[in-house]
Amino acid sequence: MDQENNSRRNFLLGGLLAAGAIAGCNTNKDVFESGIVGDVKPSGKKVKLLSVDGDVIEVDEAFLKPVPHMPPISNTEARKGIPGKKFVMVIDLSRCKNLKKCQEACNHAHELNPGENWIKVEPMKSAEFTAPYWEPTTCMHCDEPPCVKVCPVDATFKREDGIVAIDSDRCIGCRFCMAACPYSARVFNWSEPEIPAEIAAQPYSIETSIPQKKGTVSKCDFCADMTREGMLPHCVSACPNGVFAFGDINEDTVSNGAETFRFSDLIKDKAGYRLMEDLGTKPSVYYLPPVNRNFPYESGLENDKIQNK
Amino acid sequence: MNRGSKTIKYKTNNLNETTVENSILIAKEKIIVSLKPEKLNSADDDKIIDDLLPQKFGKAGKIWVGILLAFCMVGMFAYYRQLRYGLVVTSMRDYVSWGIYISNFVFFVAISLVGSLITAVFRLAGVKWGSPLTRIAEIIAVAAIIFASLIIIVDMGSPERFYNLFTHGRIQSPIIWDVIVITTYFFISILLLYYPLLPDIKILLRFKERSGVRLHKFYSFIGSFWKGTPEQFKLSDKAINILCVSIIPVAFTIHTVTSWLFATTYRPGWDSTNFGAYFIAGAFLVGAGAVVVAMYIFRKAYHLEKYITDNHFEKMGRVVVLLSLLYLYFNVNEFLTPFFKMKESEAAYLNGLFTGNFALVFWFAILAGMIVPILILLFKKGRKPLPVFIVGIMVVVGAWFKRYLIVTPTLLHPFLPMHDVPASYHHYFPSWEEWAITVGSLAGCMLIITLLARIFPIIPIQETLTEQHEIAEQNI
Amino acid sequence: MKLLNKISNGSLLILLILLSHSSFSQGTEKGDVSIAINYFINNNQVSYLVVKVKTKVDGRFKNVDGVALKLFLDKDSAGTFIAKVVTNKKGEATTTIPPSVEKQWHSQVKHTFLASFDGDKKYGPAKADLTVAKAKILIDAASDKTITATVFEKKDATWVPVKGVDVVLAIRRTAADLPINDKPTFTTDSTGKASGEFKRDHIPGDAKGNITLVAKIVDNDQYGNLVIEKSVPWGAKFTSVSTFNKRTLFATRNKAPVWLLFVVYSILIAVWGILVILVFNLFKIKKLGKSVAN
Repeated sequence: MDQENNSRRNFLLGGLLAAGAIAGCNTNKDVFESGIVGDVKPSGKKVKLLSVDGDVIEVDEAFLKPVPHMPPISNTEARKGIPGKKFVMVIDLSRCKNLKKCQEACNHAHELNPGENWIKVEPMKSAEFTAPYWEPTTCMHCDEPPCVKVCPVDATFKREDGIVAIDSDRCIGCRFCMAACPYSARVFNWSEPEIPAEIAAQPYSIETSIPQKKGTVSKCDFCADMTREGMLPHCVSACPNGVFAFGDINEDTVSNGAETFRFSDLIKDKAGYRLMEDLGTKPSVYYLPPVNRNFPYESGLENDKIQNK
Repeated sequence: MNRGSKTIKYKTNNLNETTVENSILIAKEKIIVSLKPEKLNSADDDKIIDDLLPQKFGKAGKIWVGILLAFCMVGMFAYYRQLRYGLVVTSMRDYVSWGIYISNFVFFVAISLVGSLITAVFRLAGVKWGSPLTRIAEIIAVAAIIFASLIIIVDMGSPERFYNLFTHGRIQSPIIWDVIVITTYFFISILLLYYPLLPDIKILLRFKERSGVRLHKFYSFIGSFWKGTPEQFKLSDKAINILCVSIIPVAFTIHTVTSWLFATTYRPGWDSTNFGAYFIAGAFLVGAGAVVVAMYIFRKAYHLEKYITDNHFEKMGRVVVLLSLLYLYFNVNEFLTPFFKMKESEAAYLNGLFTGNFALVFWFAILAGMIVPILILLFKKGRKPLPVFIVGIMVVVGAWFKRYLIVTPTLLHPFLPMHDVPASYHHYFPSWEEWAITVGSLAGCMLIITLLARIFPIIPIQETLTEQHEIAEQNI
Repeated sequence: MKLLNKISNGSLLILLILLSHSSFSQGTEKGDVSIAINYFINNNQVSYLVVKVKTKVDGRFKNVDGVALKLFLDKDSAGTFIAKVVTNKKGEATTTIPPSVEKQWHSQVKHTFLASFDGDKKYGPAKADLTVAKAKILIDAASDKTITATVFEKKDATWVPVKGVDVVLAIRRTAADLPINDKPTFTTDSTGKASGEFKRDHIPGDAKGNITLVAKIVDNDQYGNLVIEKSVPWGAKFTSVSTFNKRTLFATRNKAPVWLLFVVYSILIAVWGILVILVFNLFKIKKLGKSVAN
C-alpha cells in the first residue's frame, strides 16, 4: 500500500516534468494543478536530459525538483489550506475488524506521545438486540466545528480545504475545545511528550502536527502534509482491509489506495451516514453501515485487550 | 453618608418597620451631612469610631494568617510542580479534561456575585439594614474575583501564553467573553469598594498612631484628597448610585457567561437552556451564605455585636431561605425534566448522579446546600446568629460540591464510549496537587479578605455615624 | 504489490555475511538496506528513475535517508554512468536520464538500470537492478465517450503493438485516479488497444468542465510505469464554494459575525464608558479636595 502511494506521487511528479518540458503537447496546466498543489514557476535555468526516444531535450530546472523539495509551507499558508479542495473520508464499518493498524501508523507518523491515540476503534452497539461492530473514529473535521467556535485564540481553525487544524504554538491549553467536541476526538499533552530530542527540537508544523508540545491540545489532522502532496493519509494506506477511503469531495472521488470510488455513488449505494447528524456539526467523515461484514465482530476482541483491560 | 431615610432607628431590634417606600428618594434627594472633625466630638461618635477602626491582629489573628499562609505556600509548591511537569500532576485526563480547578473557578465566580447582591440590590431597593454588611460583601467580591482569574490561569496547560488571549483573542469564543466580563467586574468591584471607603479613610487618617506610619502613608496615598465637602459627597453619591445600577447587569453577565462555558457545548448535563438562570440563582445563594459566615466571624473576632446585630442574622436568614428556595426551584427544573425523559445520551449521567457513583455527593449538595438550610431557616429560632452561621457554612460547602458535580460527571459521560485510552482515563479523583492548589486558592481568598479587613474598617464608619446622627436628630 | 527490481541476492548475501563478520569482529554491527528501483515514463517524453532505500528495524520497514547511490545504465562503466544520488528524508532519490548515456541508450531496446551503494558507517553495501523494455502508450478519446489506450513495444527499430498488457483508464484526481467505469483494468488486444466506456457523467471538472483522462501501465514487469494524459470537456462545470471567507462563529478572529461585533462592542463601549466616567469622577473629587486644602 505504501508502495502504491509513493508510485502515485511519482506519477504526479512525472506529469509535472512532462508538462513543463514540452510546451504545447496534449497536456495543459490543469494537469499538474490537480496533482501537486501550488504553481511551479520556471527558474529560467535549463537542464539537458535524454527523452524516451533518445533525443536530448532541455527542461527548466524548476520542473525537475522533486516534491519534497518544494518550499516549506508558511504558517499563513498552512492556516489557509489548499484552495479549491474539500477533503472527505469514508469509513466502511463492514470491513473493520479492529486490527488497529490505522492507529499504529497514525501514532508513528505523527510522533505521538505513547498512550495517546488520535484514532480510536470503539466497540459499538446501537440497541439491545442489534449486532456489535467496530467503529474507528478520527477527527470528524466538521464543517461547523464546535471546537473551533469556542477556541479563544485561533489555535484551532477551519481551513479552506475543510481540515480542522491546530497551531500548537498558539494553543494556551484551556481545553475548551475538548469539552466542546462531541466526538471526543481531541487529546491533550498532559506531560512533556516522550519523543526523540531531534524531533522535539523541530519547529512546529501545522500540517504534520509535529512535534507535540506539553500543555497543548492535538488531534487527527487528516495528514494535511500528505494531502498537499496528493497522497493518502497514513491511516488510509495502513489499513489492510481498505476500511478508510479518502479524497476530495470537489472531485467526487475517494480512494482507499487499492480501490477508488466515486464518492457520491459510494455513499448512495451503501447508505452512508455521518455520526451525530442531529448535532448539526456537519462532519467530513462519512460512515458506511456495518452490513454484509467481512469479519465477525469477535475477531477484533483479542486485539482490543492490549489497550483496554 | 445619608441615604435620605428618616424613619430608620438604628440599633433597635424592630427594624422590620423599615420601609422601602422611600427607595425612590435615594437617587433624587440627598441631605448631605458634612461632618467636620469638630462635630465628631461627642462621646458616642468616639465610641463608634473606636469600635470600628481596623484592629491589629491578636494572637488568634496571627495564627489564622499563619495557617492561611501555610496553605498558600503548599498550594504554590504544588503549582510549581504543575508548571514543571505539566498538568500530568493532576488527575485530569482526556475525558475529564476539566476538574476541580474549573469547579473552583465557578465557585469563586459565584461567590463574587455577592458584592452586587448586598451592596447594589439592597441599596437600590432601599433596604437600610443591609448597610453595615456592604463592606464585607464588597471585600468578599474583590477577593473572590481575584482568585477566580488566578485559578483559571492555573487550569491552563500553557499559562506562559496567557497574553495570546489579548493578542489573538477571538470574540466568538465564550472564554473571551468571560475574560472581558471578569476584567470588567473586577474593575467595577474595586470602584464599588473604593468609593464608599473615601469618607472612612478621612477618619482613618486622624488616627496616625493607631494605624502606624506605613498604613498611614497608604491611607493618605489613596484618600487624602477626600475632605468631605458637600460637593465631594454629591459627586461620590452619584458615582455610587451609577455603580450600583451598572454592577447588577455586569454581575449577571459574569455568571451567565461562566455558565455558557458549559451550556455552549453538547454534553449531557451541560446542554441546557436553564443554565444561566440556574447559575445565577446558585451564585446568589452561595454569596449570601458566604456573607453570613463572614458576618458571624467578624462579629466574634472584632466584637461587633452592637453593629452586626441578631437582627441582621434574622434578616440574612430570610434572604438565604428565599435564595435557597429559588435555587431549589432551578435544580428541580434542571434535573426533573431530563429525569422524566431519560434520553439515551443522558441516562447514564443522570443515574450516576441519582443512584450511582456521584449519588452521595449529589444528595449531600442538595440536602446540605438547599433543603436543610430551608428547614432550619424557616423557623424563627433557626435565624439566630449561630444556626444561621452553621447554615451559611452548609450552603457554602454544599455549593462547592455542587460545582464539582456540574463539571466532572458530565465529562465522564461522553457520547462515544471511552476506549483505547489508559485505564486511568476512565476515572477522576483529584490528585494532591489539585487539592493543594484548590485549598491554597481558598486560603488565599480568605487571606485577602482578612488583610482587607485589617486595613479597612469592616463596617463603614462614616455611614454608621451618619445614621446615628439622623437618629439623634429625630429624637430631638 | 510486486516489486520490479530483483536484488542480486546471492552475491549480496555473501558480501553481507563477509562484511557483517568483519564488522562484528571490529565490535560494530552494520544494518542491512534494501534498494528498489522504479522506472517511469510520462507522456512518452521524459523518463526518470525513483530509487527507494529501506531498512528493517524491529520488524518494521523504515526509510533511510542520506544514502548515496550510483546509478548506471546496463553496465558499470564510465560511458554508462547515469547519476549519483542521495536519498531524502523519505528514503527516495529521483533522477532523469542524462545525455551522456545517449549512445548506450540507442544501442539496445532493453535496458538494465543498476544501483549500487558502497556502504557507510551505519549500513553495509547493497545493489539492485531493474530491466525494462522500451514501450509507449497512446490515448484516444472518441466522441461516443469511448477511451482507447494503445501500447507499443520497440522491436528493433519499429514500434509494434503489444497484446495482454493491463492498462488503467482513469480520470485524474488528487488522491488517486478514478477508473472511467467499474472495471479496474483493461487488457490490450492483438492490436495493442484497450478500450473502455466513460461512465462517469457529471463528474466535477474544472470551471469549464474539463477533466483529464489518463491511461497508465502500473508497475509492469517489462515496461515499468507509463502514463499518458488527455484533457476532454466531459465533466460538469465546477467552482468550489467555501464558507472559509464568510463571517461565521467558527471563522477566525478577523471574520467574526457582524451582529456579534455590534453587540459586543455596544456593550463594551457602554459599560467601559461608564467606568471611565466614574474614574474621571474620582479625579474631579480629588481636584475638589485640593481646592479645599488650599
